[in-house]
Amino acid sequence: MKQFGKIFKFEFLGYLRNKIFVGITVFFVIAIAVGMFIPNMIAAFSSDAPDVGGEGEPLPMMLIASEQDGLAEGIAAYFAAAFTDYEVKATGEAADAVKDKVESGEAACAFVFDSLSSFTYYVENLSMYDMNTEIAAATLKTALQIDMLGKLGLSPEQASAVLSAAVESRTEALGKNQMDNFFYTYIMIFALYMVILLYGQMVATNVANEKSSRAMEVLVTSAKPTAMMFGKVLASCFAGFAQLVLIFGSAIVFYNLNRENLDNPIISSIFDIPIGLFAYMIAFFILGFLIYAFLFGAIGSTASKLEDINTSVMPITFLFVIGFMVVMFSMAGGSVDNAAMKICSFVPFTSPMAMFTRIAMSTVPWYEIAISIGLLAGSVIGIGVLSARIYRVGVLLYGTPPKLTKILATVFAKQKK
Amino acid sequence: MVLELKNIEKSFGEKRVLTGVSFKAEGGKAFGLLGRNGAGKTTSIRILMNVFGADAGEVLLDGKPIDYEKVGFGYLPEERGLYPKKRVIDQLVYFAELKGMEHKAAIEAVDYWLARLGMSEYRNKKLDTLSKGNQQKIQLVTALSHDPEIVILDEPFSGLDPVNAMLLKDVVREEIGKGKIVLFSSHQMSYIEEFCDSIAIIHKGEVVLHGDLKDIKYSYSRDKLVIASPEADRIRADFGAAATKTQDGAVLLRLSDPAEKQSVMRRLAENYEIDGMKVFEPSLNDIFVEYASEEGAEK
Repeated sequence: MKQFGKIFKFEFLGYLRNKIFVGITVFFVIAIAVGMFIPNMIAAFSSDAPDVGGEGEPLPMMLIASEQDGLAEGIAAYFAAAFTDYEVKATGEAADAVKDKVESGEAACAFVFDSLSSFTYYVENLSMYDMNTEIAAATLKTALQIDMLGKLGLSPEQASAVLSAAVESRTEALGKNQMDNFFYTYIMIFALYMVILLYGQMVATNVANEKSSRAMEVLVTSAKPTAMMFGKVLASCFAGFAQLVLIFGSAIVFYNLNRENLDNPIISSIFDIPIGLFAYMIAFFILGFLIYAFLFGAIGSTASKLEDINTSVMPITFLFVIGFMVVMFSMAGGSVDNAAMKICSFVPFTSPMAMFTRIAMSTVPWYEIAISIGLLAGSVIGIGVLSARIYRVGVLLYGTPPKLTKILATVFAKQKK
Repeated sequence: MVLELKNIEKSFGEKRVLTGVSFKAEGGKAFGLLGRNGAGKTTSIRILMNVFGADAGEVLLDGKPIDYEKVGFGYLPEERGLYPKKRVIDQLVYFAELKGMEHKAAIEAVDYWLARLGMSEYRNKKLDTLSKGNQQKIQLVTALSHDPEIVILDEPFSGLDPVNAMLLKDVVREEIGKGKIVLFSSHQMSYIEEFCDSIAIIHKGEVVLHGDLKDIKYSYSRDKLVIASPEADRIRADFGAAATKTQDGAVLLRLSDPAEKQSVMRRLAENYEIDGMKVFEPSLNDIFVEYASEEGAEK
């Protein structure tokens, strides 16, 4: 236990003295600060100097063309109300002349009407978000409808009332509203993914480094493998957690400092995570982190050179990525309780992501959560002990990394004695 | 204090590495563990230090099974290496603490040893900025700073310049003087010969020779004389086939009867100019080659 403490301290300080580790943390904190303060800064600047461009600059021109007499003018009157971002101008020119004007940039876009119910839209570059044809069609449709209702004897006011008849609706989610929880679930899954792969790799590299620098020769004679394994893994867990607390903690502080200028519902939903869910998040985060870190540590111990690690960790990374994919696709599809998710939420290697997602975005019976956490916690201990055994065997083996089956055979042969 | 390995057996999988290895090392004396590459020295040392257990046999201290919680080991492995990117002081204190020292005591001990080895100026430097020889000296601190009862030095002199080798010799003598068990493992026979009172030679996982070095040497037939003389050529001519020339130009004279030793020596002293004369003893190098060569296994 005493050795564990010393190893933990040494490894943890090692992270704090690692320039890359500190650099990444500082970078994230600054990036979040900048992101959170930008709306504030924009607000500050705009109040000092009112937007000059808005009034001074002329609006882009939208041409409404038709060769029918009076049609263009009539439509332009309607469109002027619908397209307030444009200077809507009617013209009697032919389609080719209008096209030239759009191409030359004189007009931003143009509608050429064959009749009231048929038109062609001309624009230089069609933006992904260009909704002008939809707006135009809807505007025209309303105009046509009012016109037709007028012919049936209704006054324009009556016609508008008919068309704007609305149905009032309310939605009340009795379980979870996926929309509310989507963003922090997404962030948590992503953070878990990043942290596990990043720190897992760090643990594996650390162990392999000790081996390749032969510091291991002295270490194995100084400390128990279990103490070394647990010390290393818990130190990396603690370092990772400290990093996240710093990053997310600073995010919360910056968010609160800029609250009045950040009325974005997505950002607000992230910071309004319910406390119960937050507790689950931390529990799954720690357990998920540990189970992978132990495996990475064990694998690091079987590698003699740093180059060997990348190939050795592949199966674990693969396992993890599969879980990640299942969760991501299920979240995107909105069906977080599908069969794959249910299975994944009990398999220890995928349950941190899958079960958390289900808890956050669906209603999961308490016993399922308990079983999932129980299985995961048990596996963490089991994998931890097994990893320490593999580590004990692995650290003294040099040369080509041995096959997993061979290591396990040695580990269990030892146990029998 | 007597450290004893008794009938140690060890196999890795199908491969048998140690067969009935036994030897004894006493406190206040240096013990030399010799053997060719792959003979089983490092495995013996690791079992001795409880890095892994033996399949059979026991490790005893003063006749009782050794208590690893209480007995301190200091180890300088043959494969040197510490943390290259960490500061010297940080890692030395870490290793001392792992061996059970308190933080403050560890710092004091490490500082003492850094000063003793003339390394104080490198205290706050990163290890990989030091030269190879200096890194070796840093590593020696990990073996000594926690004041262990048993010190195991594997090839301690390799890579050291003569001045540093001298410094290390002084340190080793001090440690022996404190009554510690100092166990050497080396291929450099001259150092073993200089320090070790007793030796064990391991060959292919078995101890083929074990005992007091003087006794071992004395056990060889004492039927040859080594004579240093400016008249070496005349002696060889007079004694014929019985006299041969040694590598350093002395005469090696084989006696037909060891009992004649005194009379032959007197005769030589009377008839020739003699610088020195002694009974020939094999060097440790000779003994090692004899026991640890392929033919030695059959002996």
